[in-house]
Amino acid sequence: MRAVAYIGPVRGFAFFAVLASLPLFNLAHWSLNILVFTLMYAVMSSAWNLVGGFAGYPSLGHGAFFGIGAYATALWFQHHTITSGYEPFLLLPVIGILAAGLGLGVAAIAMRTRADVFAIVTITLLFVTQTLAFNLRSLTHGAQGLSIDVPPFAAGTFERPFYYVLLLLLLVAMGISFGAMRSKFGLSLAAIRADEDKARGIGVRTLGVKLLSFSVSVGLTAMVGGVWAYYEGFIYPQFAVDPLVTIAIVLMTFLGGRATLWGPVLGAFILETAQQTLAYSLGGSQFYLIAYALVFLLVMLLMPQGIVPSVQTRLRRRRRRAAVDAAGSPGAPAASRSSESGGRDAVAAVKGHG
Amino acid sequence: MHALIQGLILGILTSGVYALMASGQTLIFGVMKVVNLAQGAMVILGAYLAYQLFTAFGIDPLLAIPVTTVMMFFLGVGVQLLFLRPLRDEDRSELSLLVTFAVALLLEGIMSVTWKSSVRSINTSYANSSWTVLGYQITLVRLWAFLLSIAALGVLFLLLNRTRFGRAIRATVQNPESARLLGVESSRVSAIGFGLGAATAAAAGSVYGLLYPFNSGSHYDLISRLLSIVLLGGLGSIGGAVIGALIVSTSSAVVASTISPTWSEMTFFVILLLVLLVRPQGLFGTTERGSI
Amino acid sequence: MNIRNRLHGRSAVLLVAGAMAVLATGCASSGGGSGGAGKSTGPLVVGASVSLTGDFSDSGKAVQRGYQLWADTVNAQGGVLGRKVTVKLVDDASSPTQVVTNYQNLINKDHVDLTFGPFSTLLTIPAAKVAKRYSYAFLAPAGGGPDVFKQNLDNFFFVQPAPTTQSGDVFAKYILSLSPAQRPKTAAYAELDDPFSAPIAESIRARFEAAGIKTVYKQVYPSETQDLSPVMAALAAKKPDVIVGGTQSEDAYAQVKSLVQLKYNPKFMFQSNGANSPLEFPNKVGAANTAGIFSSADWFPGSDATGSAAFTAAYTKKFGGTAQQVDDSSAEAYATGQLIEAVAKKTGKIDNATIIKTLHSGSWPTVLGTLSWSANGSPTGSFNLVQWQGGKLLPIYPSSVAQAKPVFPKPNWGG
Repeated sequence: MRAVAYIGPVRGFAFFAVLASLPLFNLAHWSLNILVFTLMYAVMSSAWNLVGGFAGYPSLGHGAFFGIGAYATALWFQHHTITSGYEPFLLLPVIGILAAGLGLGVAAIAMRTRADVFAIVTITLLFVTQTLAFNLRSLTHGAQGLSIDVPPFAAGTFERPFYYVLLLLLLVAMGISFGAMRSKFGLSLAAIRADEDKARGIGVRTLGVKLLSFSVSVGLTAMVGGVWAYYEGFIYPQFAVDPLVTIAIVLMTFLGGRATLWGPVLGAFILETAQQTLAYSLGGSQFYLIAYALVFLLVMLLMPQGIVPSVQTRLRRRRRRAAVDAAGSPGAPAASRSSESGGRDAVAAVKGHG
Repeated sequence: MHALIQGLILGILTSGVYALMASGQTLIFGVMKVVNLAQGAMVILGAYLAYQLFTAFGIDPLLAIPVTTVMMFFLGVGVQLLFLRPLRDEDRSELSLLVTFAVALLLEGIMSVTWKSSVRSINTSYANSSWTVLGYQITLVRLWAFLLSIAALGVLFLLLNRTRFGRAIRATVQNPESARLLGVESSRVSAIGFGLGAATAAAAGSVYGLLYPFNSGSHYDLISRLLSIVLLGGLGSIGGAVIGALIVSTSSAVVASTISPTWSEMTFFVILLLVLLVRPQGLFGTTERGSI
Repeated sequence: MNIRNRLHGRSAVLLVAGAMAVLATGCASSGGGSGGAGKSTGPLVVGASVSLTGDFSDSGKAVQRGYQLWADTVNAQGGVLGRKVTVKLVDDASSPTQVVTNYQNLINKDHVDLTFGPFSTLLTIPAAKVAKRYSYAFLAPAGGGPDVFKQNLDNFFFVQPAPTTQSGDVFAKYILSLSPAQRPKTAAYAELDDPFSAPIAESIRARFEAAGIKTVYKQVYPSETQDLSPVMAALAAKKPDVIVGGTQSEDAYAQVKSLVQLKYNPKFMFQSNGANSPLEFPNKVGAANTAGIFSSADWFPGSDATGSAAFTAAYTKKFGGTAQQVDDSSAEAYATGQLIEAVAKKTGKIDNATIIKTLHSGSWPTVLGTLSWSANGSPTGSFNLVQWQGGKLLPIYPSSVAQAKPVFPKPNWGG
C-alpha cells in the first residue's frame, strides 16, 4: 500500500514534465494554439469537478464567472496599458480572489437549493450576468464589446506565455483536487455528495465546506476567463458569458469521470481537441453535431460513471479475477470495493474522525 | 397605461403556447423525475413538421396537429426506450440532464441537416390580420394560437383524467410506490408519459411555428424559458406550469412594452430566483427536489 | 479508504499518450513559418473561415458563393499571374474560439497564400489579429464595425464602400436633400442591440436631430427578442413621420409584419439590413408590403461598376435565379477577389507584403464601385440608397447611380 501511494505523484510529475517540455520541441503554432484552448478547458473542468464532482452540486453557472474574469481583464486594460505583455497574467490572482469572494456570496444563496434546482438557479445567474453585460453599457460597452491590446510577444513564441500560465493554473487546480482527496476536506465533500443531511447530522461542517469548494472553483474559472480574453483580444457579451462554456465543462467532466483527479483533464483533452479539429476539417455540415451527440449518448449509456472510473472498475475486476484465480479462493480483497460506494465510505470515515 | 394594458394582452395571449410546452415538460418530470432538456428541440421539431405539411400540402398548422402529435408520441416513446430506460435508477437524475441534452443536440443536428439553418416561418393567409378593440391591437394569429393552446391543454387534461392510462400516469406522479403496489407498470407508464410529453411538444410546435420564425438553433432560447416556467410553477405540476407560463409571459411582455425589451428576459429570471430562494419547490411543487 | 484509490487512475498513461499524439502531429508539419511565406509557384491558395453552421450561416453561404465564383472566373482566364486559385473554406461554427484556431490552422498548418475574412461580423477582430501576427493581409468583406478600425491593424482592409456604421448615412443625406416642406418632422428609431445594427440608426439619428427632425421614440431591443410587437406598438402610438430600423435580418421582417398588423404606415421607412435582401425580404413580409421601403446597399442588380455585369452573368449561370436574387454578401466576397487580381496586375507580384503596401494607396475599382482605404483599413466611400418599387430593389440615390425616382410618401401596406 505504501509503494502504491507514490505512483500518483510520479505519474503527475511525468504528465506535467511532458506538457511543460512540449513548446520547446518547436511545436507548430497551430498545435500549441489547440493545446492552449485544451488547457483552458482542462483547468475549468478540474475546477468544476471540485463542486460538481466532489460535492455533487451540478453548477451550470460557471460560465458567468468565466465571463466575469474576461470582463475584469478587458476593463482593467481599458485604463492601463500593456507594455511587457505580462501585466494581464499578474492581474490573474487578483481576479481569482475577487471572483472567489463573489462566488462565496453567490454560493451562500444558491447552495440553499440542491440538485436540479441548484443547476437551474445557477444557469439563471448566468443569464442574468449575460443580460447585465449587454445592458450596463456605460461599463461594459454592451453589444459593442471590449478590445484588449495585442500582446507584444514575438510571433515565433507567441503562445508560450499563455501556455505556461495555463499549465500553472492546471497544476494549481489538480493540486487542490489532489490535496482535497487526501484530506478531511475531500471526505467532507464526498459525504455531502452522498447524503448531505446525514453528513450534517454527524457533524460535518457542510455549509463551510461546500461554500469553500464553490468559491475556489469559480475563482479558478474566472482566472481562465481572464487568460481567454487576453488571448482572443476582443470580447462580446454573448461569447464571454456563454452557456456553451459551462455545458462543455460539464460534459468533459462527466465524460472523463466525476470526482476523480484525472477524469476532467482527460475529458477536456478528448473533447476540446476533437471539437477543434473536427470543426476545422469536417465543418460545413451539421453531421459533426450528430456525431458528437451520438458519441456522447454512447459514452453515457456504456460508461455512466465516465471513462476513468469505468476503466478502473474494469481493471480492478480483472485484477480481482486474477487474484482469485491465483489464490484459488473466492474471498475478494476488501480494498477493491466499487468506487460508487466512495461516498458512503466517506460518511463512515468522517464519523470515525469526529 | 396604454402600453401596460397592451403588454398584458400580449403576454396573456402568448402564455398559451408556453403553457402547452411547459406542461409536456413538467409531465415528463412528474412521471420519470427527469428534467427533459430536449423539450425545446422537440417543440422545434414539431414546428418543422407543421411547416413541412403546410408548405408541401397547404395543411393549416391546426389540422397538422393530429398528425404531428402521433408522430412525435412515437418519437418520444423511442427516446425513452433507447436512451433513458437503460440508465440505472441511482444515476438517472444526474445523467438524464446530460442524456436529454445530448438528445437535444442530436435533434438539432438532424434538423439542420434536413432543413438547413435558414430561418423558417409558416406564413398563413391570415398571418397579418388584426383587430383593434378599444384602441388595443389583437392579432388574429395570436388569438388563434392562444385558443389552439387552450384546446390542446384541454385534450391533455381529458387524457389524464378520463382514460385508464391517464389515471395510471397521475397515480405515478402522485406516489410512485403505491402506484406500483396497485399494479401500475412503471416502465410502461414512463414510456407513455415521455411520449405524451413529446406529443404535447408537437402541438406546441405547430402553434410556435405559427407565431414565430424559427430554425434548428431556436431550442436554446426555448429551453431556458421553459425551465424557468416549470420551476416557477413547481416541477411535476401541470397547473403550476400554466400559472408559471402566465407569469413569465406577461411579466416579460409588460416590461418590454413599458420599460425596455432589453430587460424583459432578466425580469422572469429574477422572479424565478426570488421564488426559488423562498420556496425551492416552486409555487405549486409538492416535494423539494433533491432533499430526499 | 476507497476514495484514495481513485487517485491512482490509469488515465495518466492515456493522457500522456494523447499529448504525445498531438506532439507528433504537430512536429510532423514543419515548425510553422511566419511572415506570410507563401510559395510563388503552384496554385494560389486562399483560406477563409466562414460560418456555415450556427447563427450566421445564411450569409456565410452567400460569402462562400462569392469566393467560389471569383475563383472559377479567374481560373477560366488562366488564374492570377498564371497560378490557379483554390479557395479553402473552413467552418467556424460562429464560435470565437474556433475562428482563432481556424486562422492558425490555415496559416501555419495548411500554409495558405492569402487569408480572406470570415463572414461572422463578431469574429472579424480576433481573426484579423491572428493574421496580423503572421503578417498576412486580411481582406474582410464583412465585420466593419467601429471597433475593428480602432485596432489600427495595417493588414486589415474592409471590402465595402464605407464602414458599416455609416451605411445608413446616405438615407440621412437623401432626406435632408428634400425641401423643408417635404421633409419628415418626427422620427422614431427601433434598433437591434448589435455592434453592426444599432450604430447605423444612431448615426442617422445624430444627423436628423442636428437638422431639427424631432425624435419621438427610440428603443433598443436585444437579438433574442422573439416578439417585436410591444416595441412596434409603442412606436406606432407616437405616429412618427419616418421610421428608422437599425436591423439585421429576422428583426427587419418582424418590424414590417408588426407595422402591417398595427396598420400604421409612416411617410418614410428605412431599414439598414434585411430589407436589402432581394430574395428573403419579399418572401418573409410579402411582396406587396415591400413597396416604398428604403435600405442601403453597395452592390445592386444592374450596377455598372467594374465587372458587375460579368459577375451577375456568372452568378446566375452557376447558381440559377435572376440578377434580382443575388445577395450583396456574394458581391462583397467577389470584390475581395477582384482586389487580389488588381494588385497582381499592377505589381506583377502576389505576396502579402505587396498586397498590404499596394492597397493602402490609390483607388480600386470593384463590383462594389471604386474602393480606397485609410491607414486603419476603413473604407472612404459611401453606400447607395435603394428602395423597393414594384417588387424590385432599385438604386435611387445619389443620382449618379440612380435607376429610378424615389417614391414618397410611402405607399400603404399591401396587407
